[in-house]
Amino acid sequence: MDPPPEPVSYICGDCGMENTLKPGDVIQCRECGYRILYKKRTRRIIQYEAR
Amino acid sequence: MSDSEPEAMAEADGVPSTKLPPHLELRRTRVLCKVDAPDNTDTIQYSGAYASLGHENSLRFADFCKDFRVDITRISDDDMELDMVGVDPSIANAFRRILLAELPTMAIEKVLIANNTSVVQDEVLAHRLGLIPIKVDPRLFDYLSENDTPNEKNTIVFKLHVRCEERGQRLTVKSNELMWLPKGSEFLKTSESLTSTSKPETYTSFTCSQDSMPEFAGNPIRVYPDIIISKLGFGQEIELEAHAVKGVGKTHAKWSPVATCWYRMLPEVELMEEIEGEKADVLKQKCPAKVFEIEDLADGRKRATVARPRACTLCRECIRDGEDWEKRISLRRVKNHFIFTIESTGALPPEVLFTEAVKILEDKCERVISDLS
Amino acid sequence: MSAGKEGRALSILRDVFLANVRVIKNNFRPKCIYVAVMLRRMMEAILNKDAMDDKDYVGNKRLELSGQLISLLFEDLFKTMISEVQKQADNVLSKRSRSSQLDLSMLLVKDSITLGLERALSTGNWDVKRFRMHRKGMTQVLQRLSFIATLGHVTRILPQFEKSRKVSGPRALQPSQWGMLCPCDTPEGEACGLVKNLALMTHVTTDQEEGPLISLCYCLGVEDLELLSGEELHTPNSFLIIFNGLILGKHRRPQRFASTMRKLRRIGRIGEFVSVFVNEKQRCVYIASDGGRVCRPLVIADKGISRIKEHHMKGLLDGARTFDDFLREGLVEYLDVNEENNALIALYEQDATPETTHIEIEPFTILGVCAGLIPFPHHNQSPRNTYQCAMGKQAMGNIAYNQLLRMDTLLYLLVYPQRPLLTTRTIELVGYDKLGAGQNATVAVMSYSGYDIEDAIVMNKSSLDRGFGRCIVMKKHSAVNQKYENGTSDRILRPPRKDDRNKKGENPDWERMQILDNDGIAAPGEIIRPNDVYINKESPIMTKGSLKMVALKDSDYKPSRQTYKGAEGESCVVDRVTLCSDKNNNLSIKFMIRHTRRPEVGDKFSSRHGQKGVCGTIVQQEDFPFSERGICPDLIMNPHGFPSRMTVGKMIELLGGKAGVSCGRFHYGSAFGEPSGHADRVEAISETLVKHGFSYNGKDFLYSGITGCPLQAYIFMGPIYYQKLKHMVLDKMHARGSGPRVMLTRQPTEGRARNGGLRVGEMERDCLIAYGASMLIYERLMLSSDPFEVQVCRACGLLGYYNYKLKTGICSSCKNGDNISTMKLPYACKLLIQELQSMNIVPRLRLADS
Repeated sequence: MDPPPEPVSYICGDCGMENTLKPGDVIQCRECGYRILYKKRTRRIIQYEAR
Repeated sequence: MSDSEPEAMAEADGVPSTKLPPHLELRRTRVLCKVDAPDNTDTIQYSGAYASLGHENSLRFADFCKDFRVDITRISDDDMELDMVGVDPSIANAFRRILLAELPTMAIEKVLIANNTSVVQDEVLAHRLGLIPIKVDPRLFDYLSENDTPNEKNTIVFKLHVRCEERGQRLTVKSNELMWLPKGSEFLKTSESLTSTSKPETYTSFTCSQDSMPEFAGNPIRVYPDIIISKLGFGQEIELEAHAVKGVGKTHAKWSPVATCWYRMLPEVELMEEIEGEKADVLKQKCPAKVFEIEDLADGRKRATVARPRACTLCRECIRDGEDWEKRISLRRVKNHFIFTIESTGALPPEVLFTEAVKILEDKCERVISDLS
Repeated sequence: MSAGKEGRALSILRDVFLANVRVIKNNFRPKCIYVAVMLRRMMEAILNKDAMDDKDYVGNKRLELSGQLISLLFEDLFKTMISEVQKQADNVLSKRSRSSQLDLSMLLVKDSITLGLERALSTGNWDVKRFRMHRKGMTQVLQRLSFIATLGHVTRILPQFEKSRKVSGPRALQPSQWGMLCPCDTPEGEACGLVKNLALMTHVTTDQEEGPLISLCYCLGVEDLELLSGEELHTPNSFLIIFNGLILGKHRRPQRFASTMRKLRRIGRIGEFVSVFVNEKQRCVYIASDGGRVCRPLVIADKGISRIKEHHMKGLLDGARTFDDFLREGLVEYLDVNEENNALIALYEQDATPETTHIEIEPFTILGVCAGLIPFPHHNQSPRNTYQCAMGKQAMGNIAYNQLLRMDTLLYLLVYPQRPLLTTRTIELVGYDKLGAGQNATVAVMSYSGYDIEDAIVMNKSSLDRGFGRCIVMKKHSAVNQKYENGTSDRILRPPRKDDRNKKGENPDWERMQILDNDGIAAPGEIIRPNDVYINKESPIMTKGSLKMVALKDSDYKPSRQTYKGAEGESCVVDRVTLCSDKNNNLSIKFMIRHTRRPEVGDKFSSRHGQKGVCGTIVQQEDFPFSERGICPDLIMNPHGFPSRMTVGKMIELLGGKAGVSCGRFHYGSAFGEPSGHADRVEAISETLVKHGFSYNGKDFLYSGITGCPLQAYIFMGPIYYQKLKHMVLDKMHARGSGPRVMLTRQPTEGRARNGGLRVGEMERDCLIAYGASMLIYERLMLSSDPFEVQVCRACGLLGYYNYKLKTGICSSCKNGDNISTMKLPYACKLLIQELQSMNIVPRLRLADS
């Protein structure tokens, strides 16, 4: 019913490569094999009070 | 100050008033800065305080008009020093307090962060941006109240978009990278309501561009230039919009138009006895502010004089060594002479700040009068 | 006596009794001599009390390091494994008919050593049966609350014996711990004086090989024990040579022997931590190379002249030399506590006499890391330094250079940490000037507003606006995508968006899931509010038993979302999200959630002199006093904090800080540093102050911000380094009107975490009784706690029940409702009555008219 959601990409903790993962994938960087991935920052605009 | 003047005034007014005895006059008009503590620091307002001596203590308007004066001793683009003579400390303090807390300026209040991958956390970044002084006359803007929409009359929008592109380099983001957006926000609001397909909504609703206003044509709004906002490593990026609104220092120090503003009472240094010869040299050496000077007398003797009393910082070094020095020198402050310093942050020149402060005090007085009547 | 018993006794004598004296070829003579020497020593102690050993003497103590403990554990595990294999091999071999060849490797339990080590490390229980060792709490999680907490934790020494014993000896400061253990850094309360910390330069030795040292001793003229008679051993002009508690023999010229040994050590022929100690009283030379002794470096002096010359120091400053070079060249050597007794140590080179053998490197090194942060500690009352040692560990600031990449469960950071204006040499040595935990606040010591009683401080609102005392609190939240035994696993779903509808046309949860990305995990940078979902996880309903391996339908899952539980109105930010696999190969997701706080009334602050206080009120800048130069303090401290605390160091810190700001140089306040120039003298500081137009005593002429008139006293004002402590009201404030109750007693729950009630305890109750406020007690202890209506039978005094059909109370033992009264009782009382009844005790209520 809904369009397939665009895949979410993650950043490798070691080399900084972007990786896209599907559910069930092994958590590992394609490029360097590092096993810790970070989520990317949100693309929404966040509002802060300058106080 | 000579004591003859007030007496003459009193007689001219036709009110019978006698001169106060000199020791009381000294207490009334001077703060005595002794070694252990200052004395006579407060002022006596009560008109009948010296009634038993036949002295009328009330403040008369004619006296005030005659005595009051303001001299500017030093002025530059962002700071000034002025002498205010002939007012009570409470009035001088009122100006100081108004300058610190009640004069409006523009300051960044809302920060819309689209991207920030720097080490500085979003809210810290917002806080830092808020403290940057904006060089704009706040009188041209209105306050943004709670249910107002931000428009060209109450909001200034700045944009900051920097990215460190050089590998191995560190980029210092300074406040001059903040770009003024006269047309208002460029960020689109995420579809809160998809119904309106006419025009994408932004965070502000400007009806016209600010640079079309006569005040800003050819005179773009700038901020104080070299304040470090953040530092970026390779690949790090900051993209944000900062919305400045009008406010007063009472709510947050970022709206204070002055870096600081203070006064001091005019120092008065009196030599109670002649200080001659070696002692005069000692005295001159003692003072780090170089208040004293040595005068050569005709017969080859040397005598200490008070050359620059205004320079006295009240370090009390001259009266430190024992009671005999304390007896020789009397450090005083004149209670109705204020040396006022205003250090502007740059939004308005200091002299304008002062006149604005006067206006605010005037408004307040009028309000009180109208409330009372 | 049977031969077996005799053999056992012999083996105990050989292997257990004085096990350090080895029996070679059934030669018991060394052991006999050892016992004789022991007896001799004992008799001496009886005759002469001075000869008694002191068990609190640091030279008689040994520290256990992790390596020794691990090696003990490994030895035990390894030997256990070997014997296990042996037992199994014997088992196999004892069988008559064997089909296959014996393969020892098959008998090895694969990871018994790994598991044993892991278990010991994770539980902290060191159970080594072989050595009769049963210790608990041997491992600790390293404190990462602040940089200083970490350093303080790694230098801590824990005692072995129990803390409950009421003896003062081990708790008291021992003169022998000078330079080895910090005299200030110890906790307050039950562990006071037992838990210690290493001093700045202390080194703890590790074991060194004994064999070469023993043969060296014999080469240097030690007469072997084997060749001596008892009489010869104790001839008046000879000394016993004792090596690591083993009698090697005797030497006729002990001083010469000792100095040769030392010479060899200084030129590096034997280890630098070998200690040689000539005990004149016991007529012994002790040589120690064992591990766990504390020792410290000292500059060697020849006839009172230091071996370190100008050019050496220049080389050190230029970076051409290091400390190790000094050690290698024999300019500096390590002495342990025993050998210190053979040395005459001068504090400074100019104090040295021809008898002096060593010179202290610097007196401030007798303090540890935590006490080293205090400026002018030698001017403070000693308990204040101890308090500061405990408090410095709670200060917020920087933790490490990688603090923003770490995933700690709880992280406290300061937004704008500063380097103290008044530093010490220790601060520079440990790097506290680079990873500070505090800010230089301009403090005015005066009374203001009455909100500053009991050590409270008044803060300037504008300072807070500009970022003073701002901190970041980061908490870790984790989620695991669990796999279950039947092959199913949790799943993380794309969150419903605003326009999504489920089958019923509803979409109740989208608002709580706005911060989620399409992968169902919260995105970094999003503001997270209480009750927001940060991971949209679902778990299968069936997790046990075999499952037909068909794809699970949506209805087979139940939501197990994790929501953020924070205080209402608090806006936190998702700082970082990491994905990784845990050891069971499950997807593990960790969230760091950040909250930036500005100081508020009730937050705890402290200077570096054990002077803690909470923020009492926050005042506008225009109401604050200001000086003739327009300086406005950041905070105001009440002068009553000084007379009873006697923290003169804090006053000097203020003076030094003020002089530092005016002349643009960091001033120093190292402990005992005045003679060596590591601390500025008050006279010099005052001179600087006067030069810049301040009063020599640091007191300024201030104007009141409220009236505008000058204040009637000169105010002591200047910068003091202030630390923000981790105790903040936001984490502690708690109130409750009504709320959850405990199921069993129906009384309010306990504790803030469970939104519990505030207890009226026994002492409060006593006060109310004494006051006579009986109705208040009634209200607090019953009405507001657990009121319950019971039916009491006046005839039998037992509790009945209320029959709703008949609308009367019935007594279940009398089987009627004739004598029933209704009354109120705490539910806990009713519970007690019933519990007693169940144990065959019958409490009966006798009712009377009041």
